Amino acid sequence: MKSFVLIKQVPDQSAKAGVNADGTIDRAKAKRMLNPFDRYALQAALHTKRTYGGTVTAITMGPPPALEILYEAIAHGVDRAILLSDRRLAASDTLATAFALFNTVRFAGAFDLIFCGLQTTDGDTAQVGPQLAERLRVPQITYCEWFEVQDGLIRARRVVEGGTQTVTCPLPAVVTVANSSERLAYKTLRGAQRVQHLQRDEQLRREVISTVTLDDIGADPERCGLKGSPTIVAATEKVGEIGGNCVFYQGKPVEMLVQDLTRNIALREWTKR
Amino acid sequence: MTKQVLVFAEQVAGEIQPIALELLGAGRLLADKLGGILSCVVLGQGIGQLAPALIAGGADVVHIADHPELATYRTLPFRRVLIDLLTSFEEAPHIVLLGSTTTGRDLAPRIAAYFDTGLTADCTELDIGSYEHTNKMDPSKLGLYENCLYAIRPSFGESLKARILGPWKNPQMATVRPGVMVPSVADFTRTGQVQAVPVHLQPADLCLVVQETLRAVAHHVELTKAEVIVSGGFGLGSPEGFTLIRELASCFEHSAVGSSRKAVDAGWIPHAHQVGQTGRTVRPRLYLACGISGAIQHRVGMDKSDLIIAINKDSNAPIFKFAHHGIVGDLYQVIPEMIRQLQAPHPQEAVYAVRENQRR
Repeated sequence: MKSFVLIKQVPDQSAKAGVNADGTIDRAKAKRMLNPFDRYALQAALHTKRTYGGTVTAITMGPPPALEILYEAIAHGVDRAILLSDRRLAASDTLATAFALFNTVRFAGAFDLIFCGLQTTDGDTAQVGPQLAERLRVPQITYCEWFEVQDGLIRARRVVEGGTQTVTCPLPAVVTVANSSERLAYKTLRGAQRVQHLQRDEQLRREVISTVTLDDIGADPERCGLKGSPTIVAATEKVGEIGGNCVFYQGKPVEMLVQDLTRNIALREWTKR
Repeated sequence: MTKQVLVFAEQVAGEIQPIALELLGAGRLLADKLGGILSCVVLGQGIGQLAPALIAGGADVVHIADHPELATYRTLPFRRVLIDLLTSFEEAPHIVLLGSTTTGRDLAPRIAAYFDTGLTADCTELDIGSYEHTNKMDPSKLGLYENCLYAIRPSFGESLKARILGPWKNPQMATVRPGVMVPSVADFTRTGQVQAVPVHLQPADLCLVVQETLRAVAHHVELTKAEVIVSGGFGLGSPEGFTLIRELASCFEHSAVGSSRKAVDAGWIPHAHQVGQTGRTVRPRLYLACGISGAIQHRVGMDKSDLIIAINKDSNAPIFKFAHHGIVGDLYQVIPEMIRQLQAPHPQEAVYAVRENQRR
């Protein structure tokens, strides 16, 4: 089994540092982290390796610091990694991102399964996985929460409105992994040691982690970044504050706060009798 | 040419989904602003009888693709039919809308990628307007554009709405969050055309087989039907906090347990409970937000609730900007007290009134 896993470094939104006064993210200052949704994709990819053998390649697109999440993936057991880093990728929307990743996947070679996180916490679109599948002309299984592979077929359970669905589909395929699937296990001792070696030995690092540009992967720069993006953020506005008329209960013993509340609102009307 | 707004109308087992009517409501407004027509496309098997309801919902033209292989939603057959339909028009539709359901989010990106066009995810507002592009970094796009789709979605964590535009290419596409658009009122005096869509599937389109679909009650959290939702967030501090949330929810009739994304991401509760942009949109009569900061992604999922009560330690938490009532305090003290008072055999209000009188 040859599995690829697509991961992304995102700003840590729980950290207040790195948020501009207008609420946008100052990516230079923001703390960075592995997109939480990608942890499920990583787990799914590593599961294929443990269960069926083969290799796992982690692919990311981003500025050089994104190397951190590739090390993290390697510490978890990923075999090799590719960092696509190029200034001409700035301001890519999902279509341009999927195009660049499509070229990176072709550069990486043949695959059986490509795992993607369901979405990222900075973009929230859930579009890149299906757009990549369209470019690759392969079927996709989105919202996947469980799967097994047998005889060149993947059998998977996916989440749909109000329930689940079981499907089978031939390989190769793109799978976007739901956050109801198996959680990422601990880093392995071997993986952690391997990262230490890579950080010390540049020669070895280059063998395991390829850092590539658009030229290396043969992607048309006109179809990447701002130029290749059919959508732009034309304006942002602060969300209007509804009401702002919150009735506050504070500064009293808890018992009295709750009594005050239940005096104002007939909470008991909704309770079971 | 008349501008066309095309809506993908979802049906499951012959039932039009609420999102289809919401999209028709939104699409009708856009089509009227453009002076254009509103069409919709519905795919399935034995679904001809759905046309009148879709016309009553606002569609001028209903395209029906009826075929046994379309009985259950699958990406590739649906993709094929939609691509064939979109390329069959003399002029590409101006705007194409799908729901941000598991189906819409699965299908829309593939269609957009096929046509190399823009797609804005999970919109909460749509409008038509003009736009002047002045960014010289990209000279090919300079100029003034009329009749652009304003696709508006919450972004960047706390407090922003972003207006996303892609007027350079038709169709301009967007997916729309279920539950936020107002469905049009059915008007059965409306008339419209019904057109059959030819279905030409290729063997490769049928490679994925649906073995079973379970819309199991046990799996389904009745969040959208609950009258009272008690939600817990990251402020609970640990998964055990949901024991308390469940206990409070069980005090109420027709109640359900909700949660914010951070609590789901932390693995404290399954995703099915998540309220918000990437979870469910809810509109209960009473929403109790416990230890939830009130990030925009959560807010768009619940701010239409009739009555919002927030419990949070931090009086500056954004949740208090739109909650109607807010208790500032430690939820581990407040909730048990609330449970105690709600379960007490006699209303505490009376006792409280007596005490007040004694003080005077």
